[in-house]
Amino acid sequence: MRLRRTMLYLPGNNPNMLLRGHLFNPDGLVLDLEDAVAMREKDAARILVRDVLRQGNFGTCEVTVRINGMDTSYWKEDLEAVVPAGIHGIRVPKVEDPKDMVLLDETLSEIETRAGIPLGKTLVFCLLETAKGIWRAYEIATASKRVTAIIPGGEDLTADLRTNRSAEGTELEGVRKMLVLAARAAGVDALDTVFPRITDDEGLRKEVGFIKQLGFDGKSVIHPNQIPIIHDVFTPTEKEIEKAKRIVAAAKEAAERGLGAVSVDGRMVDRPVVKRAEFTLIRAGLSEEVLS
Amino acid sequence: MKTASAGTVESMDCLVTVSEGAPGSGLSIQLSGAATARFAPTMRKAVQEVATAMGASDLSISIQDNGALDLILKARTEAALARYRGGDTA
Amino acid sequence: MIRNALGRELPESIPGYGVVKPFLGHDKRVPEGNRDGGRIKATFGNQTDKVLPDIKAAIAASGLKSGMTVSFHHHLRNGDYVVNMVIDACAEMGIRDLTLFPTALFGVHKKLIPHIKSGVIRRIMGSVNGPIGQLVSEGGMEEPVVLRSHGGRPRAVTCGDVHIDVAFLAAPRADRYGNLSGVGSKSACGSLGYAFTDAMYADCVVAVTDCLQPYPIGNVSISQLYVDFVVAVESIGDPAGIVSGTTQITRDPLRLLISRYAAQLIEASPYFKNGISFQTGAGGIPLAVTAFMKEAMKRREVKGSFGLGGITGYFVDLLKEGYVERLLDVQSFDLEAVRSIASNPDHVEISADWYANPWNKGCAVNMLDVVILGATELDKDFNANVNTEADGALLHGIGGHQDTAAGAKLTIISQPLLRGRIPCVVDSVYSVTTPGEVVDAVVTEYGVTINPRRQDLIDAAKEAGNFPLLSMEELLAKAKDLVGPMEPVQTEERIVGVIEWRDGTVIDVVRQLKAKA
Repeated sequence: MRLRRTMLYLPGNNPNMLLRGHLFNPDGLVLDLEDAVAMREKDAARILVRDVLRQGNFGTCEVTVRINGMDTSYWKEDLEAVVPAGIHGIRVPKVEDPKDMVLLDETLSEIETRAGIPLGKTLVFCLLETAKGIWRAYEIATASKRVTAIIPGGEDLTADLRTNRSAEGTELEGVRKMLVLAARAAGVDALDTVFPRITDDEGLRKEVGFIKQLGFDGKSVIHPNQIPIIHDVFTPTEKEIEKAKRIVAAAKEAAERGLGAVSVDGRMVDRPVVKRAEFTLIRAGLSEEVLS
Repeated sequence: MKTASAGTVESMDCLVTVSEGAPGSGLSIQLSGAATARFAPTMRKAVQEVATAMGASDLSISIQDNGALDLILKARTEAALARYRGGDTA
Repeated sequence: MIRNALGRELPESIPGYGVVKPFLGHDKRVPEGNRDGGRIKATFGNQTDKVLPDIKAAIAASGLKSGMTVSFHHHLRNGDYVVNMVIDACAEMGIRDLTLFPTALFGVHKKLIPHIKSGVIRRIMGSVNGPIGQLVSEGGMEEPVVLRSHGGRPRAVTCGDVHIDVAFLAAPRADRYGNLSGVGSKSACGSLGYAFTDAMYADCVVAVTDCLQPYPIGNVSISQLYVDFVVAVESIGDPAGIVSGTTQITRDPLRLLISRYAAQLIEASPYFKNGISFQTGAGGIPLAVTAFMKEAMKRREVKGSFGLGGITGYFVDLLKEGYVERLLDVQSFDLEAVRSIASNPDHVEISADWYANPWNKGCAVNMLDVVILGATELDKDFNANVNTEADGALLHGIGGHQDTAAGAKLTIISQPLLRGRIPCVVDSVYSVTTPGEVVDAVVTEYGVTINPRRQDLIDAAKEAGNFPLLSMEELLAKAKDLVGPMEPVQTEERIVGVIEWRDGTVIDVVRQLKAKA
């Protein structure tokens, strides 16, 4: 299981950020060929991103590329350039039809076969930026095995909802709840949209606390300075880690001794509690304790 | 004169401009920027490699560098040459 | 040719400099004999006014002749009018072949170039930068520039290596009997720390002020005991160039990342406890390190003892909020620092001698726990270069680099690994300013690299485990991998700069750049 607390967007035509993004230690990177690249620079950015991917120095980050939308003439060329260069996944903007996922799956399979990449290796992160996309979130998330996460849009989505983005995020509350529900039902990650006010550290902290409580696995990031704050919110406290360790250890011991349920600190520990404790340890960067 | 360029003069980037050279002149490469003091031969080699791979000749390639690594130099050269071929004079 | 303790090849003697005493190691050379001093003078009761009508009158009265040494302080930084004003007057009076002995020069002093070319200035002992640095690097001066640290300079004066004939001291406020102050006027610069030694050791001291007040003024930094003459001028400097406004913490993500790692290293070190003292300076990274350290001090309830060196408003806040108990200020960088030194008794003005001279009875850097420094280059032996740029041009002074590195228990150099394509870590630095034996760690965007002679720090960092740790070999390999092979700097044999270690030995020399083809 991979942590996706932070996925940092890197403008696809900016060598400085493309080369240095991973140094900020986000869980993942999104090399962006879409909104961050002007129309007349699409060609140059595609070559640049391809070459930066080939060089392949991204530390431990999960590496993805946001391609241009499937309603444009660029998306296939984007895939042809970046998939063979070696990536974990692609982020697709403005998904609203499950059929697109089928087409994308087929296209990716073709490219993977030609490039000698294991079939199905390239994962898909879906940006749902319209009301229709949100409404069909579950269908989209289950349309292809490649889909690994769904992400609500920000600006586009609020426009489509005929409202605008507020500091409190009232307009996105329902969308976010629906998205988490669909993601959990489909067995994919729920990743949140970006927080656009890059100097508002307190506002960011508040929003991340809120989406974490809703059940999100992480958030898209537009500025490196946001990363430590988001990680801080998502990182369990010492107390939570200690408790989780005790629960996981007790469950292991019970399993070894063939017992069904165990109690920790005088409370019954059943399967969901163990699962949550395991998740806490993964978020704390202690996944080896879960796996061992 | 036909020219095409790619890249920017932002930090760690470079602006590559390709323009027509005299027939039989081969490749002429002009470099400028602070890094040329210590890296000119490597920079020249990087540009040359891309041009050769793309079969480009009789061209003048000018690099306005602001600290681009070889891989960036190469990507920008490729983009500029592709634009030059495509007739895009941006 | 001889080799110093770092293996740098040096001639036995350098024209225009003299016999080379090779660097022996950071605290090896000890002085003998007595201190040097200025000329003795009697001033009787019938002499109650030291004011002269103008600069030329003061130059005449001082006895300044061709071939002599004149000194200046740099507290007015890039706003300074006084150096240019005095040298212009010397030129008009036909004085030539001067040795200029400033505590530092700034961009504003590029107006001296015609005086260098015409021979009014024959030699510079002090930092050169910008156009003057370029001129020197290309061989535009007859005699080599001599670079000394903030502590090495007062050492050279007090021991007699350099004798100052006339010191011209820019004074933001003065009275008619030569009491000088750095505060309380339009040209206020705060501390006058760098001017003290010159005032005490020069044969003649001329104060230049644009705020002449009745005797006696308050907030006296340099007293009437040392000052021969006072000249009032229209303006000694441009306030906008003298002090900056409020200092902002950088939002640049790369610099913040490096700063965070540096602060985490400090927190992991044994020095992070009650009574910690530190110097961080005014640059983007150091200031952010201070901000992160403040967070850590708050979180772990640690109270510091003193902040040292060049003081900013940010340090003033640390003092007010109780994170440190004292500020020892050799140079006040901004308006907040100027205001504070004028009014807060815990904000103490110190001289460069007090700050950093290794040859007195104990300087402040010896009491320092942590210092954050920069460098243009470091090498695998942790030797640091702050004087020359990648193209070999001599463009920066030493400042307090050598002194604080030698004194502090934890010396951290924090610097992006790449500036454009130029790496800050190389096999061997082009010129050495500060030897690796006094550098403990390098912090880059890739993490923390600790000098292997500090196994204790390596252990502490591993124990903390919250920042990436990599060896110098790994960091160097990373740099080489990213930037590719570097061509050597092309130079002539001729030496254009001599870099002294703070004890007066020569740690390295800088050679003239080969003319570009």
